[in-house]
Amino acid sequence: MQTNYLLPNKYKILGWVLFIIGIISGFKIVFSDYEYEPIKAKVLSIFNEGFLGSTEMEYFKIIETGISSELASIAIIIGGLIIGFSKEKVEDEFIYKLRKDSLVWAILFNYLVLIITIIFIYDLTFFHVLVYNMFTPLLFFIIRFNFLKLKSRSHEE
Amino acid sequence: MKNNIKVQRAIHNLTQADLAKKIGVSRQTINAMEKNKYVPSTVLSLKIAKLFKKPVEDIFFLEDNEIKHN
Repeated sequence: MQTNYLLPNKYKILGWVLFIIGIISGFKIVFSDYEYEPIKAKVLSIFNEGFLGSTEMEYFKIIETGISSELASIAIIIGGLIIGFSKEKVEDEFIYKLRKDSLVWAILFNYLVLIITIIFIYDLTFFHVLVYNMFTPLLFFIIRFNFLKLKSRSHEE
Repeated sequence: MKNNIKVQRAIHNLTQADLAKKIGVSRQTINAMEKNKYVPSTVLSLKIAKLFKKPVEDIFFLEDNEIKHN
């Protein structure tokens, strides 16, 4: 099966390492109510209107801020993408189909969950839903794909 | 689509893993095909038929409801 967007199998471990480091530090940040900020850096802010428009709009400004949540997010996303899009040990048309089916399932399931949370969760609590929702499509995809792989491996004649 | 890969395998005394290795797919693929959970591509069907030295039609068959559409 010709696929040109998949990484070699050896990258999968790197993906898991990044993903797990990202999730652990992500939870540490979330449970500290976003107070845990060990790393500070000067960054470029393309535009910023303050918290809910409290200050005037600012464009292209260098600001100093904590970047640990940014690093954690990027680790989860890059790690998750590598896990999902690196080749299996034996990559064939059936595995390709499982990957595609898992992606479709993950998108549908994610938005179903999001619709439910939009209806039933309000105010600032919904902000937490949005934070998790940045990562759930990837997470659901990885869980579904590995579940299907495991399921089709079992029951040898 | 149905198939008799399992029977062919028994005749040639191959395990799922053996067959998978011979045609270069994962064992899950053989397993899914034997359980009729996966319809293989034309390329894979031809590879399997070639390995068992039989015409494709002797290994893969349409099911009744698939024939009706013709």
